[in-house]
Amino acid sequence: MTPPDSAQFPAESSSASQPPSVVTARALSQRVSTADSTLTILSEVELDVKAGEILAITGASGSGKSTLLGLLAGLDQPSSGDIFLLGQNLSELDEDARARLRAGRIGFVFQSFQLLPARSALENILLPLELAGRTDARERAAHWLERVGLTARAAHTPRQLSGGEQQRIAIARAFATDPQILFADEPTGNLDADTGARIIELLFELNASAHTTLILVTHDDALASRCQRRLHLIAGHASEVAVA
Amino acid sequence: MRFMRLGLWLLRRERSSGEWRVLLLALIIGVGSVSTTGFLGDRLKRAMGEQGASFLGADLLVTSSRAIESWPASSTQNIPAKSSPLSTSSLATSQALEFSSMVAKGDAFQLATLRAVDAAYPLRGTVRIAPQPFTESTSRPALPPPGAIYVAPDLLPLLSANVGDSVQIGEASFTIAGVVAEEPGQLGGVFGLAPRVFMRADEVERTHVLQPGSRVTYLYQFAGEPNQLTAFSATLKPTLDSTQRLIGSREGVETLRGAFANADRYIQLTALISLLLSVAAIAIAAHRHALRHYDQAALMRCMGATTAQLRTLYAVQLLTLGVLGSLIGVAIGALMQQALALLILPDAATRLPSLGLAPVGIAVVSGLLALAGASLPALMRLIRVPPLRVLRRDLPPLPLGAWISAAVSGSTLLLLIAWYAGDAKLVGVFVGALAGLVLVLTLLARLALFAGRGVQRLSHGPVRFGLAQLLRHRFDSTLQLGAFTLALFLVALLALVRSDLIAGWQQQLPPEAPNYFLVNIAPYQQAAVADYLSQHQLKASELYPMVRGRLTIKNGVPIASTLPPELRDSNTLRRELNLTWTATLPANNAILAGQWHGTHNAAEISVESGMAERLNLAVGDQLGFQIGDQTLDARITSIRSVKWDSMQPNFFVIFAPGQLDALPAAAIASVYVPPGASGMLPGFVKAFPGVTVLALDKLIANIEAVFAQIIGAIQLLLGFLLAAGMAVVIATLLASLDARQQEAVLLRTLGAQRAYLAKSLWSEFLALGLLAGLLASACAEIAMALISDRLFELPARLHPWLWLALPLAGALLVGMSGWLTTRHITRVPPMQSIRALG
Repeated sequence: MTPPDSAQFPAESSSASQPPSVVTARALSQRVSTADSTLTILSEVELDVKAGEILAITGASGSGKSTLLGLLAGLDQPSSGDIFLLGQNLSELDEDARARLRAGRIGFVFQSFQLLPARSALENILLPLELAGRTDARERAAHWLERVGLTARAAHTPRQLSGGEQQRIAIARAFATDPQILFADEPTGNLDADTGARIIELLFELNASAHTTLILVTHDDALASRCQRRLHLIAGHASEVAVA
Repeated sequence: MRFMRLGLWLLRRERSSGEWRVLLLALIIGVGSVSTTGFLGDRLKRAMGEQGASFLGADLLVTSSRAIESWPASSTQNIPAKSSPLSTSSLATSQALEFSSMVAKGDAFQLATLRAVDAAYPLRGTVRIAPQPFTESTSRPALPPPGAIYVAPDLLPLLSANVGDSVQIGEASFTIAGVVAEEPGQLGGVFGLAPRVFMRADEVERTHVLQPGSRVTYLYQFAGEPNQLTAFSATLKPTLDSTQRLIGSREGVETLRGAFANADRYIQLTALISLLLSVAAIAIAAHRHALRHYDQAALMRCMGATTAQLRTLYAVQLLTLGVLGSLIGVAIGALMQQALALLILPDAATRLPSLGLAPVGIAVVSGLLALAGASLPALMRLIRVPPLRVLRRDLPPLPLGAWISAAVSGSTLLLLIAWYAGDAKLVGVFVGALAGLVLVLTLLARLALFAGRGVQRLSHGPVRFGLAQLLRHRFDSTLQLGAFTLALFLVALLALVRSDLIAGWQQQLPPEAPNYFLVNIAPYQQAAVADYLSQHQLKASELYPMVRGRLTIKNGVPIASTLPPELRDSNTLRRELNLTWTATLPANNAILAGQWHGTHNAAEISVESGMAERLNLAVGDQLGFQIGDQTLDARITSIRSVKWDSMQPNFFVIFAPGQLDALPAAAIASVYVPPGASGMLPGFVKAFPGVTVLALDKLIANIEAVFAQIIGAIQLLLGFLLAAGMAVVIATLLASLDARQQEAVLLRTLGAQRAYLAKSLWSEFLALGLLAGLLASACAEIAMALISDRLFELPARLHPWLWLALPLAGALLVGMSGWLTTRHITRVPPMQSIRALG
């Protein structure tokens, strides 16, 4: 049942040996019932992401980008359609089974960083490792803190860190468990242009060395253009556009 | 296991968070309160149990109001006569007499309870005698050397006497040879209305205190092998009449333990109120904790944690806090119960058995139950948080059915109450009273807040802003007001009961109401006493001869069988009544039915109306009384009302003259001794040494002292209630802290100074405390008026000082707890606050 390790299929690999799909969406729709009408947020989205690919989901505000990301990561259930995540049909799994599927294999980076406020930088990175039951949690956390250049800030809590530093901690936390897929929701949305650019550099650099499949939501064209593929959403309808 | 470790790790990192601290504080207060009473109750119960035989001073005790002349022959071959030493062939025996008498030294005199003993007393347990009060005592027989007595330490200051001094008992003189430090059946000197004196049985005669008709209890003690005792009591029982009692050591302790268990249960319920108030604080703190951890829980779900894993994680945290809080609470309870023991049993506190383990278990389970009931609904929501919340912050956790929350909390609370109350009826009463109280307090709090709106409109600046806060958080304010009002109200009510009842009773007495009772006036003294009183121009009541008898028969059948089961144990039936006879209807009595017998010399009686109502008696009924070893029949010819607080000798049953005359009867009278004339009393005591002089003001002062001890103990428990009230205030304030901080940041950014913020916070909390104080004053006045009127038939009166003291106390306590919780809002620079709030 477990799909092959994506590390065997580097992103730059040629199409001759086709890597397996890690995320697949079939006729994916999401509708929300309000008091007097039904709102369609996503409509019949089709998507297939291979191991090691980098996909940008773009679109205007309210076009359904974050909703799609949430559905693909198994954080929510679609109104209709199927999602296959790492070879598993999510509609066959309940909430807890989906959580188990994510544990240690899926990483997240959020626009609002989502660091635990009372925990130090190091402890924030430790959390997913502890959750995944890694015995080498502390060493790995220290290693990833070093990779993002914040070893000196290990004992600092999020409120003592700048926005850029907080996002670097969040990225270290996302990579710490060696996930097969990394979902990033507007990772530069809360940062100024310079800091954002540095964060993107870091994200791509780490992703390249870890060979992780990266799916990121952004409305930043410059960022989207650095990705291999781009899925553009307009009012819930998705279309793949060529990367410039 | 992993998640248990993770839970502990997270808990350690959050140990300084406000919610955990409040939760822990509330739990400590609640458990402290129930364990204080639990520990003390357990120690007292075990003291009674451990003492067993030594509690009675024997394995078997027979009490009788007259000497028992003949004993069953089976085991007692030498039947003891009244004056001969009691002995049986196989059982160890001892005989003692107990009676009240005056002990005098110079002009000082004091009523004492004398126990005249033989050399064998006590058969079980020990009497310890010390050479001086509060010095080391030695275990000795209670029998003093000839011409000497042993006295309870509290008698010495009352008589300004020392060990070695000579005192007068009746017509004889005795030397105080030592101080009684311990005796069987005594836990302490709480009810020391008449201090104990041990004397020799063979010296009673020379005091001439005991006259025909004197009130005296004969105590016959037996000790031996269980099978001998069983055989003896089996043959003895049928020979005893209804005025005599056979008490086995177990039975004696059980009776006392039963009475104690009831009192203990009510005190435990008082403690339970603190625990329930703590539950409110815990629920609020847990709710806020959940609210602040939705993001953390969502993130962990996102990272792959299942609901079961989150449940483990939070359960471990809760259990750790629960055990920690309960243990600290138990430790505080252990300290507080010792303070309580010293307060109510100053003499015996050190002799009580050591702390038991059972109350620890009960307190810890109570604490965990309270914690679970209060915080589970919040934590159940927390573990059901949708992982999608990481992307959409506004997404609330799945709602938990209101009925599930209510069922979880409600059933836990009910379980706790049921556990403490013991029986279904008491649970019903307690829950009903609690619900009524919550309803009334909620209504009152809402009304007070409504009134506060007017004040807010009139105010300005920071005060207006502070009051606006109070009115805006209406739910919080109602809860805080309710909790604090309840605590202040109960504390005030107890203080009022303590001071008012005594003062009210004294004030209500008409001027020149009798202030002394003369009891135990022997028949031969009665004429002389009457002469003495009239010679000294003292206003005295008639001298009423008294005979003791028990009401046993109504219209030819045992009276108990004519009553519903719950009335059969009535005090009027259980104890011996004071019966008198007179031809004149006493002052303060009025005939309600039938005709006063007057001088009509027939077997007729007049019965007090309350007794007639309780026992369902009517004019024409034929009653049978057991008086000594004879039975006397009489017909009810009138029903009387009696003004009980008239300070006159009052009687339930008055016979027509001629019926009881043949029986030995000591008389009773009441007399008014004007303040200037009390110097004649020592002369009276000397002239009539056997007569007991009861000073009402001393009696009232004694009752007041006992009252003060008990109320002091309960007030100590109410300290927990006040602390729990403060925990509720702090918990609700913490819950609104984020919103307050946001407002403070905004205000400071807009130019408000720290002083402005501080003033607005103080106005809010002072107003809250003042309101709680005012509400509590109103509640206490109303409750006190009801208690005075309904229970004690005293006129209600207002207490102006209350209306000043309670609002001040409220303002101070709420002000302090509020300011301590929120003050850092005014200190943090706005920029730091903005960052902290994200």
